[in-house]
Amino acid sequence: MRPTHSGTMSKLKNKKRNLEENEDEQLPIFDKDGGKDAHLDDGDEDQGDLSDGEESVFSGLEESGSESDDEEEEEEDEEDGSEEKSSDIEENQTADGDGDDQLSAKEVIKPQTDGQNSKEEKKKKKAAGKEGGEESVASVRDSGLQISSQVDEYEHDTSDEEDIRNTVGNIPMEWYKDYPHIGYDLEGKKIFKPIRNKDELDEFLDKMENPDYWRTVQDKMTGADIRLSDEQVDLVHRLQQGKFGDVNFNEYEPAIDFFSNEVMIHPVTNRPQDKRSFIPSLIEKEKVGKLVHAIKMGWIKPRRPKETTPQYYDLWAKEDPNSILGRHKMHVPAPKMKLPGHEESYNPPPEYLLSEEERLAWEQQDPEYRKLSFLPQKFACLRAVPAYSRFIHEQFERCLDLYLCPRQRKMRVNVNPEDLIPKLPKPKDLQPFPTTQSLVYRGHSSLVRSISISPSGQWLVSGSDDCTVRFWEVSTARCLKTVEVGGAVKGVAWNPNPSICLVAVSYDDTVVLLNPGLGDRLVCTATDQLISSYEEPEEVMDQSVQWAVAEGEGHEQGHRLILKHPKAVRQVTWHGKGDYLACVMPDNGSSLQVVIHQVSKRRTQNPFRKNKGLVQCVSFHPIRPYFFVATQRYVRVYNLIKQELTKKLMANCKWISSMAIHPGGDNVICGSYDCRLAWFDLDLSTKPYKVLRHHKKALRSVAYHRHYPLFASGSDDGSVIVCHGMVYNDLLQNPLIVPVKVLKGHTITHDLGVLDVTFHPTQPWVFSSGADGTVRLFT
Amino acid sequence: MSQVQARFFTENKKYLIDDVPFSIPAASEVTDLSAVINKLLEAKNDGHKHVEFDFLVQGQFLRTSLASRMETENISTEDVVEIEYVEKFTAPQPEECIMHDDWISSVEADSEWILTGSYDKTARIWSMEGKAVMTVAGHTDVNLYNGLSSLLLSASLDQTIMLWEWNSERNKVKARHCCRGHAGSVDTVAVDPTRTKFCSGSWDKMLKIWSAVPTEEEDEIEEPNRPRKKQKTEQMGLTRTPLMTFSGHNEAVSSVLWMDAEELCSASWDHTIRLWDAETGGQKNAITGSKVFNCISYSPLCRRLASGTTDRHVRLWDPRSKDGSLVLLSLTSHNGWVTAVRWSPSHEHQLVSGSLDNVVKLWDTRSCKAPLYDLAAHEDKVMCVDWTENGLILSGGADNKLYTYRYSACVSDAGA
Repeated sequence: MRPTHSGTMSKLKNKKRNLEENEDEQLPIFDKDGGKDAHLDDGDEDQGDLSDGEESVFSGLEESGSESDDEEEEEEDEEDGSEEKSSDIEENQTADGDGDDQLSAKEVIKPQTDGQNSKEEKKKKKAAGKEGGEESVASVRDSGLQISSQVDEYEHDTSDEEDIRNTVGNIPMEWYKDYPHIGYDLEGKKIFKPIRNKDELDEFLDKMENPDYWRTVQDKMTGADIRLSDEQVDLVHRLQQGKFGDVNFNEYEPAIDFFSNEVMIHPVTNRPQDKRSFIPSLIEKEKVGKLVHAIKMGWIKPRRPKETTPQYYDLWAKEDPNSILGRHKMHVPAPKMKLPGHEESYNPPPEYLLSEEERLAWEQQDPEYRKLSFLPQKFACLRAVPAYSRFIHEQFERCLDLYLCPRQRKMRVNVNPEDLIPKLPKPKDLQPFPTTQSLVYRGHSSLVRSISISPSGQWLVSGSDDCTVRFWEVSTARCLKTVEVGGAVKGVAWNPNPSICLVAVSYDDTVVLLNPGLGDRLVCTATDQLISSYEEPEEVMDQSVQWAVAEGEGHEQGHRLILKHPKAVRQVTWHGKGDYLACVMPDNGSSLQVVIHQVSKRRTQNPFRKNKGLVQCVSFHPIRPYFFVATQRYVRVYNLIKQELTKKLMANCKWISSMAIHPGGDNVICGSYDCRLAWFDLDLSTKPYKVLRHHKKALRSVAYHRHYPLFASGSDDGSVIVCHGMVYNDLLQNPLIVPVKVLKGHTITHDLGVLDVTFHPTQPWVFSSGADGTVRLFT
Repeated sequence: MSQVQARFFTENKKYLIDDVPFSIPAASEVTDLSAVINKLLEAKNDGHKHVEFDFLVQGQFLRTSLASRMETENISTEDVVEIEYVEKFTAPQPEECIMHDDWISSVEADSEWILTGSYDKTARIWSMEGKAVMTVAGHTDVNLYNGLSSLLLSASLDQTIMLWEWNSERNKVKARHCCRGHAGSVDTVAVDPTRTKFCSGSWDKMLKIWSAVPTEEEDEIEEPNRPRKKQKTEQMGLTRTPLMTFSGHNEAVSSVLWMDAEELCSASWDHTIRLWDAETGGQKNAITGSKVFNCISYSPLCRRLASGTTDRHVRLWDPRSKDGSLVLLSLTSHNGWVTAVRWSPSHEHQLVSGSLDNVVKLWDTRSCKAPLYDLAAHEDKVMCVDWTENGLILSGGADNKLYTYRYSACVSDAGA
């Protein structure tokens, strides 16, 4: 191969190789100087070189294709070896040359050997160890190595780089436009532009006369004119035609498919089959085992066979299958046009023609109500009939008729509104309940705020704003006793214990316990004895309420104990056993709103430490030790023994006015100023079981009957509404609430109607007190 | 239709006419029929004076035209109609109006005297002319009810019954006995026909029988060492304890009466009327109503009980019926509670009732749709009525007035 090299380039390379040779030869010397480590490394290389020595001949071929580092490394070594050898071979042919030449050649070549830069750097690293400071030498050797590797490549190369004269590199040549020279040659001397003083005329003449003008091109590097040879012209043509430059290259050579599906006797790779392809897979076995287990356990079921029947939308699925022609029965025919009659005729009989009055009437009639939409007219002949002016209009209406005609008969659902009302028993079946006003208890001169009935049902007490408390005989409406107190009476409550005859009366900030002296003599005297037998305890407690025994005139009137509170007392209520008395002093800012007095011990306690809102009314549970406190929006149920909040009832209203507890103790009704009455079932929920809105105005008072399933509410609209409220013993059945009667009687005074209601303890009678100063009994 | 065949008959011999059917216009009313009878009588005897008659068709007074009546009663116009005629009851004539100081709670009268109890804690004796004869004051509380004859009984809200002895010549009253034992206000007393015993009913649900014979001995008292006993005895009379106590009512006893010497009847707020054997104290029968009973009255003439209740009706009961609660008749015209009811002592069909609607009504059971007369003199609730043997109707009420009416029901047909 080498001998084929020709020209200056080959010489240059040879020179380089020679230089390399020299360097290599010198290396051992450096090694000896450098130390053993470096030498060892070198030895490795040498060994590698030795082993691969034979292949090194082809190293040039392989080098261009392979890129991976390892191989490169090896190949590099191989190259080294090969180079060494080749250089050895070429040693003989060494030609003499300058170091300058070599350097410049290296510089020129460098940019073309991009792929080998990494190699070079690695080489450099290696060399760094060996050669220490003598980098220049190494680099020279490197470059020589590069050139040697590219020897084969340039074998047929016709590139004119070989005769490079200009060293300015790949720059736009316009930069030298204004200079006399065009660059520098290898020796650094200026290359002057050829003297050409051709003007346009010369150019033209040249073009005309020179037959080779067309194949003359200017070499930009040297500025010289070059006449292209025939081969070069041919090459240009071929390239212009998009063909390969090489004439001999056959681009349509048949391809050889090495890796085909055909099993060859001599396969491309002869790798034997793995062992694992012969033995059964454990992983598969495990997977199959799991599937089998799952099938046994029924976790996996055989896939359902796909339904082969195609799915269609049944247009008439909803139709009643029994009515075979249901759809046709529902058919609504398009409206038909009326057939023309005599009145449409151009020559109608005279009876169809309208007289003058009829015509006037027709004109005045609304077009919708006209019997005929046109006026019948008579014409002498058919020819005289003009165009019908309403034609378009009538056609349009006809189209509307067709278009707006209903397509289906409408099935009207006839719901009797009566059926929507829940079935409630008739009030008639729920007797007895109060129905008529029987007695009017007259005597008070101002509104009667509160009434209460004695446990025997024989007496009634009423407290009024005229600062009196009156005692009435229920059966005759006779006022038996009038007791004057020092202020407008806000609340009265008869002690529910039949063996005690006491009435609590609240006015201003005072609560007075009265002994009315009615009923059994023995009971009255026993009550007086009970009160007078009280002994002052040893230690005097500091109480917020002052207890005092009434004396003198007050005692004559029946006053027994006077309780002075810090604030105005609005409501008094007794506990069922008659010893405890709860008083309400509504005050938004204080925690002292409710006090509970124990009459036998003359003790007062404030059950609540915190103010939870404006207290409206309180009540004791009839059986259990619970205490109900109604604030504006909530009713709180406290357990007095455990001293904790048991329940909080949400009344869903704005302002609770009154509250009553069912004698069974599981139901509560609340009246509110926003006209509602809420029934709570304590077992059911903290929300109202039922809300009744029968009253037109604010409710002032609610009450339960002690025995009968009745409750009543009194309102500002002057009416008392009595409802049947049956509570069942079994927990499954919800209370039955039926409004049964509206009782009217009170006249509305100062926008106030009924202020208090209460039931007779044994009879189905209800008492109501009103702003008109009367108490009324309804039976 | 215009004419019907009618035969008139009467039980009064004075007004007998021939027993032949007459043809009379169907549209004729009471006045027309009365004119017919008068004509017939005039024709019969010359000295006949015009008398207003009332007519009964099938035991019921005729108030509308004969035709409409026959229609409602389903009487065929083909047949001969039997029409009874009686002398028309003249309206009760108001006689006296006796003013009291307070509400009159009870009234009782005999042929000479009127005894009233009042809410001013006194009982008063009046002459028939309305003169106050005597005031009996002794109770500490409202007076309620009275016994009769020279011995007076007064029951009171103070839970006692006083037995007074009244000497009408000297006009002096002496408290003989104070009957203590009730634990509630005593609402009613009744003296038995033999006038040896009396019975009282109270709010404490008890009925007690006491001896009505005044004695000089005091019954045993529960408190032996009573201070000022002598003084008290002079004022209040000797203390007396009940002979017998009947318990059975669940509510206050509102009214009690003797049906005969052995049988007691009581009405109560527990919606029952009970019959008691006065000897053994056992309950014999019970009539259950639907409302509170305010008052009852028994007529030995027709053997019926009349009751006034806290609804608007006067109801008639048969106390002998075993099945008890069967209302024979309801007399409905009042607008308030019926507080007092009293049978006529001389007429088996007539009774008087007083109500909270301020009206006293006179009824004839043969005309149950409407009362015979409304006596609307009271201005307030009527609390009590009475009817004496000599035809005097008395009523007292909350307007503090006691009205008396002379009512001359014909005694002639009472015995029938």
